[in-house]
Amino acid sequence: MLSRKSLVLLIAGLPSLLAADGKGIDFNRDIRPILSDNCFACHGPDESKRMAGIRLDTKEGARAALTPGNPEASRLYLRVAHPDPKRRMPPPSTGRTLTTQQVELIQKWIAGGADWKLHWSYEKPERPELPALKNKKWARNAIDNFVLARLEQEKLTPSAEADRITLLRRLSFDLTGLPPTPAEVDTFVKDKSASAYEKQVDRLLASPHYGERMAMPWLDLARYADTHGFHIDSHRDMWPWRDWVIRAFNNNMPFDRFTVEQLAGDLLPNATTEQKIASGFNRNHMINYEGGAIPDEYLVEYVADRSETTSTVWMAMTMACARCHDHKYDPIKQKDYYRMFAFFNSVKEKGLDGRDGNADPFLRLPSGEQQTRLDDLMARIKARESELADEKIKPAREQWEKQRLALLDYAAPAGLRDGLVAQYEMDGTGNDHSGAYRHAHVLRGEPTMVQTSVGKATLFSSPSHAVLGKIALGADYSIAAWLVQDHHEPQTVLRQAGRLDVWWDASYPMPHLRRGAHLHVETPGMHLRTRDRLVQTEQYHVAILHTQAGGVAIRINGQAVPVVREAASGVTNGEAGVLAIGQELDTEVRNGFRGRIADLRIYARALTESELRYLAIDHRLPHMLSVPVKQRAKELTLRLREHYLAHVAPAETQAAWADLRQLRERKAQLDDAIPNTMVMFEMDKPRDTFVLNRGDYRNHGEKVTPSVPAVLPPLAAGAKPDRLALAKWLVDPQHPLTARVAVNRYWQNYFGIGLVKSSENFGTQGDAPSHPELLDWLATEFQRTAWDVKAMQRLIVTSATYRQSSKATPALTERDPENRLLARMSRFRLSAELVRDNALAVSGLLNTKVGGQSTYPYQPPGIWEEISRGEIFSAQVYKESQGEDLYRRGMYWFWKRTAPPASLSTFDAPDREKCVVRRSVTNTPLQALTLLNDPTYIEAARVLAQNVLREAGGDPSKRLMLAFRRVTGRIPDAREANILSELAAKQMARYARDAKGAQALISIGETPVDKKLPVTELAAWTNVATVLLNMDEAITKE
Amino acid sequence: MNWKREMQLLETRRQFFGKGARGVSVAALASLMGNAAPAGGQPGVPHFAAKAKRVIWLHQSGGPSQLDLFDYKPQLKKYHGSELPGSIRMGQRITGMTSGQSSFPCAASIFKFEQAGKAGMWMSELIPHHKKIADDICLIKSVHTDAINHDPAITFIQTGSQQPGRPSIGSWVSYGLGSETQELPSFVVLLSQQNSVRADQPLFSRLWGAGFLPSHYQGVRLRSGKDPVLYLADPAGIEREGRREMLDALQALNRKREEAYHDPEIDTRIQQYEMAYKMQASVPDLTDFSKEPASTFELYGEDARKPGTYAANCLMARRLVERGVRFVQLYHKGWDQHGNLPQDLALQCKASDQGAAALVRDLKQRGMLDDTLVVWGGEFGRTVYCQGKLTDTDYGRDHHPRNFCMWMAGGGVKRGFQMGETDDYSYNIVRDPVHIHDIQATLLHCLGVDHTKLTYKFQGRWFRLTDVHGNVVKSVLA
Repeated sequence: MLSRKSLVLLIAGLPSLLAADGKGIDFNRDIRPILSDNCFACHGPDESKRMAGIRLDTKEGARAALTPGNPEASRLYLRVAHPDPKRRMPPPSTGRTLTTQQVELIQKWIAGGADWKLHWSYEKPERPELPALKNKKWARNAIDNFVLARLEQEKLTPSAEADRITLLRRLSFDLTGLPPTPAEVDTFVKDKSASAYEKQVDRLLASPHYGERMAMPWLDLARYADTHGFHIDSHRDMWPWRDWVIRAFNNNMPFDRFTVEQLAGDLLPNATTEQKIASGFNRNHMINYEGGAIPDEYLVEYVADRSETTSTVWMAMTMACARCHDHKYDPIKQKDYYRMFAFFNSVKEKGLDGRDGNADPFLRLPSGEQQTRLDDLMARIKARESELADEKIKPAREQWEKQRLALLDYAAPAGLRDGLVAQYEMDGTGNDHSGAYRHAHVLRGEPTMVQTSVGKATLFSSPSHAVLGKIALGADYSIAAWLVQDHHEPQTVLRQAGRLDVWWDASYPMPHLRRGAHLHVETPGMHLRTRDRLVQTEQYHVAILHTQAGGVAIRINGQAVPVVREAASGVTNGEAGVLAIGQELDTEVRNGFRGRIADLRIYARALTESELRYLAIDHRLPHMLSVPVKQRAKELTLRLREHYLAHVAPAETQAAWADLRQLRERKAQLDDAIPNTMVMFEMDKPRDTFVLNRGDYRNHGEKVTPSVPAVLPPLAAGAKPDRLALAKWLVDPQHPLTARVAVNRYWQNYFGIGLVKSSENFGTQGDAPSHPELLDWLATEFQRTAWDVKAMQRLIVTSATYRQSSKATPALTERDPENRLLARMSRFRLSAELVRDNALAVSGLLNTKVGGQSTYPYQPPGIWEEISRGEIFSAQVYKESQGEDLYRRGMYWFWKRTAPPASLSTFDAPDREKCVVRRSVTNTPLQALTLLNDPTYIEAARVLAQNVLREAGGDPSKRLMLAFRRVTGRIPDAREANILSELAAKQMARYARDAKGAQALISIGETPVDKKLPVTELAAWTNVATVLLNMDEAITKE
Repeated sequence: MNWKREMQLLETRRQFFGKGARGVSVAALASLMGNAAPAGGQPGVPHFAAKAKRVIWLHQSGGPSQLDLFDYKPQLKKYHGSELPGSIRMGQRITGMTSGQSSFPCAASIFKFEQAGKAGMWMSELIPHHKKIADDICLIKSVHTDAINHDPAITFIQTGSQQPGRPSIGSWVSYGLGSETQELPSFVVLLSQQNSVRADQPLFSRLWGAGFLPSHYQGVRLRSGKDPVLYLADPAGIEREGRREMLDALQALNRKREEAYHDPEIDTRIQQYEMAYKMQASVPDLTDFSKEPASTFELYGEDARKPGTYAANCLMARRLVERGVRFVQLYHKGWDQHGNLPQDLALQCKASDQGAAALVRDLKQRGMLDDTLVVWGGEFGRTVYCQGKLTDTDYGRDHHPRNFCMWMAGGGVKRGFQMGETDDYSYNIVRDPVHIHDIQATLLHCLGVDHTKLTYKFQGRWFRLTDVHGNVVKSVLA
């Protein structure tokens, strides 16, 4: 059996090319990888780790260790070939050994003169001549010349062109990520013109879904997500940036502009809003708001992420390896790392941020209409504010204060004590001030007395139960108290068996880090709750009025509020019991009261409006006014002023104040509705950047300024060394890496593997290109066409290489399992998002809307909740979308980094915590379970079946044709049709016996069931459709 | 079956995507050949004879207070309420939560300690069940970490790096050693549901993620409820026989495609569907506790009957390793006692003490403790100084990375053994420091893996769990 290594060599076709004198040995392809992988760690660029003073990563260094032409006189060869394992290099402690072939290669290389070249990727690509070919007919464009030349060298022949159906399906997935419709297939198949294929290419390149398709891998590179990622991992909005990327591809923005705007759009002269949005590329990294985290530590992480991501995406350079010490393989000094870092170390940001939405700096993006409304509101608010300026109302306000002070408590409406059955001040004693009942008896919970703005209150910080007494609640009564709800679990506030149950339901997050719950009031036969949530930890005056005539009313802060009537649970049936705060035991449903309560009053009559107003509004005045003016905190002064404006001032002023409050409320709502997106924004004075010893944020070394690694061309002379200069440097024609790295990734999208397999690493530890000349030709072509992205895609997909069939023979699979030689087209599974998009598309469920806020497709409950922190933060609870948002494309699925979309993860989607250049392509049983059982796919199968049954009527073979065509684009052959017809018949027989099962199956998903279709047939065909959607062919790009 | 051809196909599969179909397809291949031998690991791994074949890691998320559980400091009573001396603190960094405090008064533990086992391990009254396993565990009182806050600390202990992006320890192990079961994932994650303690520390899927390893090495969450594995259950309306019919048709269609395309991935996919079908039977069998005898619930406590509790998950862990699962990673939240420690820690221990002890005893009575390694511990310890108000009955403790306690039990480590010592304040290690990377190296060592040799090349560098650090803690090895 062949070893893995020897197989690789065989594929590269090396042994056949090597002559004994070392001719045919290419240093960069054959020798450098051996030295780099096995020797550089101790004999490479890192001075601090260099052993015995020998370095093999430079020509001079290597020459000192060998004699060209004479391996036997070369220390390098003698040591790697040493007969004594203890003396042989690399030493056993490294865990590395050279194979016999590798030792032989080194021997031959030295024998042949030990030719030395700079690592290939650091040399500017030169446009190669097109190679001459024996077969003059096959090539359609330059790509094919290079591919075929290599095949001819390897004595292989290219495969035939794929059939049209396969070709269009391949092309559609590659350019839009969506399958062709049967009509599109028909058009192409019937088109006899010479340019039939090119017409399809142009059609697809012009599709709005082209931008989506191109954006998908870019989102992996940019580590795009909808949450901040660290710890609390709450919501962020970067979708305006994501939509910018889609637009940029659709508008065919040249790659150099695409680069400059994303890296430094904010620094362009007169930067437009779009260019600023684009600069968000480097704000996509994770951001922390863990309480207790140290800001300086995270500032360094953000900058490091930007610098490393930028190096990976544009240069496939493993910059991160030089963070703690000089790079062990590539010529990057630790200092180079921090000079690169310095470009990104001047953003006006905080180390800890992102607690409530986006982190600074961000850009608000009002629509034209929103801006108009905003301007209008601002103007009106300003006018009202000046009308109500304190200097204008102060004399009257102070006058009132004096008058009120003289009155103090005595402004209570006459008769306020009439009908007062019991009054508990809740000042920590539980005494009943009416004297009619016994004092409250605390059975559970530890009451403490606290001062509040309404005077003393009792705080129960754990679930409580305090019995007040057997207070009879007759036909007419009122209960009033100040309440603060202090815990998110549902809890009983007040309860009297047989009469009354007042409780909070579970509190839920509200915007701006608040939580709130509804207040419920149940009486025999009646259950009301507030329509809106009352904010947790805020103090409310709550009054419940019960009258024989009018039923139950809830007043909050003296005002009637909207209520919702709910089904009575019956908890208040039965004998009247004692009135109590909280409840005896915590149950699954509810806990005892936790929070604050003050001035609890029970009346045997309905309170009047003016009494309610007094209790809720005026009642607190004495407490506020009793503080001498000079000792008043700012907040208290403000509250008094507001009280005056709302309740005391002349009617006209009160109206103006009411208007101002309403305007402010409207502005707050508008502000919430205006999207924003994080952007780059420079500090006035950039931070100093230092080399960080061992990469530790606390350990400052030498101070450095922004610059680029010496092995690459210098920054433009005279330019200010900032991000803009860096971006322009990357797309300068002299730069050896950018164009190669970009075209290589495009290649990877189409063929599964790049010409350089290690598309994330073009350094010495990366893989050598399979077709170096082709890579350089494409890179120079990209530059020559002024970085025309669509033209590059067009070039690749119109090549004969791309148009080959992906059918392999056992011999070819064995010879070239990875398809590096391209004697066929690669065949591989669709990426995670596309597996789902395809099922939605063929069933007709797909919502093709482009861009916008991210959505929440079906996901089993608990995936987020089991791991998230919860509390007041956003993106802690998964709330499924409704309606057509359920069927948006996978790329719009809300990406929570600590719990990414579960069914996409199963298909190898990354968590987006870091830049990802290549996804794995695995094949697992969990994928099978997802495609078979996830409601997304069952619903898609059912809707597909529904459409097919409607269209085909009762003819089973027609149904089959339609369904098969929708899923695969083609017509099934006899054997396939037979397998599926038999399945359909068997499933029909099953569901004929199991009507309930049939109904259950077709009821999955939100899409309504077509009631006109027979349930049995629909269920059976749903399963046939499931089998179709599970076929390898259905989820594979062939 | 042509064995050579199969191996070539397998090689093909691996080659194709580089980071391609491996562990699982190898398992599929093994089943194809009727071969039940371990499959899918790396060549040459284990590097030497393994003492442990599998691991159960009971991660106590939040940072249990070593001062109130294992690190007995009677002298602290004297210093209770007095300022932590500068000579002890030595200017070490502290979190943003207490850095603003004007004073750092020492808080002695309010709990009683007793010695247990032959080694005389001190344990507090909060963990009575642990006393019963004192002769089975190896207690390390001098573990230290680099991180001071939850996110980086838990990421560090689970992936060897404070920053996201590296593979988790479970994925490294399953990458290195492969799977021993064809019907369950080799790396399973259990999250215990909350008890009465306020447990606000989030977890992150990266903690069981595969990082840059092929993504099928990531841990599979086993959840309580209808679908312990995501989408395990057939949908309503599909019976087993009906499902089988569907799979047979699917297989026939896929076989046909394979004949035309000669793509080994198609064959792998067929195998994956068969494994999925098997899992649909094996997982419900796994999660069905009804056949466990009454003695099991005496051992683990009645809580173990309630799916998702810590006790139930400890029992589940035993059932998983019995069935050949390589790495069980359990998370138990709620150890982050910044305030209200005496009350909340007591509740937390009450919910977890018995389960952990029962697991060790259960494995022992089944003879499985010899080749199963159980690890218990949090991501850091807690400070001797009080966070918030110190009263006679109440105190809180902030995060403390400089020393904390972990224990291991079973395959490869000494039993009834303790090591490491801290100063009188449990603030600094005075003897035998053990770094997180050392813990990781030691765990791999017990599995027969040289932590410097289990590597994966990514971005041109050979990465390993312990980065460039870590020493096997020889003194704990049996």
